[in-house]
Amino acid sequence: MWRAIRGALPARHRGVTVAGLCVVGALVLLAALAALVPGSPTEIARDLALRPPTWDQPFGMDDLGRSMLSRVVHAYRVSLGVALGSVGLALLAGVPLGLVAGYAEGALDQLIMRPLDVLMAFPAILLAIALMSVFGTGVVLVALSLAVVYTPIVARVVRAAVLAVKVEVYVDGARALGAPVLRVVLRHILPNAATPILVQASVLMAIAILVEASLSFLGVGVRPPTPSLGLMLADGRGFMVQAPWMVVFPGLAIMAAVLGFNMVADGLRDWLDPQQAAGR
Amino acid sequence: MILYGIRRLALAVPLLLGMSVLIFALMRLVPGDPAVAVLGYKATPEGIAALREAFHLDEPVPQQYLRWLSAAARGDLGHDFRQNEPIGRMVLDRLPVTLELTALATLCVALIGLPLGLLAGGRRGGGADRVALAVGLVGVSLPDFWLGIMLILGLSLGLGLLPSGGWVPFAESPVDNLVHLALPALTLAVSRAAVLGRLTRAAVLDTMHRGFVQYARAKGLGERAILFRHVLPNAAIPIVTVLGLQVGYMLGGAIVVEMIFTLPGLGRLTLDAVLERNYPVVQSAVLVIGAMFMLVNLVTDVLYGAIDPRMRRR
Repeated sequence: MWRAIRGALPARHRGVTVAGLCVVGALVLLAALAALVPGSPTEIARDLALRPPTWDQPFGMDDLGRSMLSRVVHAYRVSLGVALGSVGLALLAGVPLGLVAGYAEGALDQLIMRPLDVLMAFPAILLAIALMSVFGTGVVLVALSLAVVYTPIVARVVRAAVLAVKVEVYVDGARALGAPVLRVVLRHILPNAATPILVQASVLMAIAILVEASLSFLGVGVRPPTPSLGLMLADGRGFMVQAPWMVVFPGLAIMAAVLGFNMVADGLRDWLDPQQAAGR
Repeated sequence: MILYGIRRLALAVPLLLGMSVLIFALMRLVPGDPAVAVLGYKATPEGIAALREAFHLDEPVPQQYLRWLSAAARGDLGHDFRQNEPIGRMVLDRLPVTLELTALATLCVALIGLPLGLLAGGRRGGGADRVALAVGLVGVSLPDFWLGIMLILGLSLGLGLLPSGGWVPFAESPVDNLVHLALPALTLAVSRAAVLGRLTRAAVLDTMHRGFVQYARAKGLGERAILFRHVLPNAAIPIVTVLGLQVGYMLGGAIVVEMIFTLPGLGRLTLDAVLERNYPVVQSAVLVIGAMFMLVNLVTDVLYGAIDPRMRRR
């Protein structure tokens, strides 16, 4: 993997991409091994309430004596799960829509894209809040709402990429050889339109982590006692003077994850789009 | 130019209609009877019947939609489920707070983002560029609600410099008003300023390669003159577009910021209504914020046409 990256990336962008991948990889590993972290994310120990950071509990204890470190690590499962789930679903819905709209153009294009424009006409967080208010709270619903918010974004990116790719000579060539439409789209157009989709997906992962945290913070996202970084910040607000660690660490944790995905997105964009890279 | 503006406006009408249909349909998807949801455990059959009657919940849904839409078009957003107050008044009371917050934050975005991008783009690869790049990357990754909490912790509770929340109307005391909005505006602005800074840098670097810049340099113009007289005007289109987009996003971001700093704005109204399941208010507030978002994007489009005449022909 490392060698592949080294070979493919010019030195200037390698650092950022690799650093981003390392951050993301470390977080995924942490989330996977969350059970090994000392302390329980939900076990209440009143006598340990608001204990400051120590060597064995470097993030301190919250107002109910729960281990902040364990809670942060478990919350990563929720953050990453929501990010992966929402982006995955949005790709599943948005890629076919964008492919059809871009390839067909004309009336079908209008039929697909105009309703999606309506979804995109709202600020993302507002639409997510409205969806959550109707369908209720919880991890799965957060991922579903975000998928609804993301689908038009993915569809638009895919459509634009398809419009650019489908005029290429090799597409005409495939068509002239009598390849069926499905084959032309899946074998010739999609792989060549994959670049912007990949970049968009990593940007959306970063935003999903932020939005999940925001929704949970506002009380319309993940439900307690499931540990979520946004919920932890909301809880910590009431104790921020006595126990600043209750707000400092969850926030840093959100930032680390978002930063990781943004770095990956930046690196990918520079690598895959040399023209843009010259400008940045 | 005027024709271009009118054409953009005409495109906005079906979009706004679509938005109203979406919100209305969404609110009708709320599981269960809204009347029961509002009255909760205190619901009596008579109470439910009265509420259904008062809010026309017994009519067919399309008829309810048309009733709402025609009233909304006349500026009447209906009454809320709880206090039976006119929603239009509630929205108008809250609107100035959000508008002022967004305007101040936009100012901050421009004042932080533009110099950051120019500093970085002016000398590519230099020390300032590296620092600005790193600041930009961290900035776009910063959760704004966390930044708000940290600012309160450090500047209000720690150093006692600025108030941690609350609202004073401008008419009452302009100074107090601005003092109370300083932290919220900054909180809202930082990550958007980072986005603008990154884009300004990219736009400046892109323009730097153009022939007319090389010509200006060959003519013996100083770097400063080149940057401000030749590069900046030509890099303005992407910059204006992104600034416009950021203003729109801040309308959404205001929901979080108003909640942290206890500002009585439109975002706060929306969130409170969501938490109280006050659906008529959610419905109208979401539509108003959505319409404002669309208006900002429309203005950006028109500005775009004003800066670059080529755009008007599309």
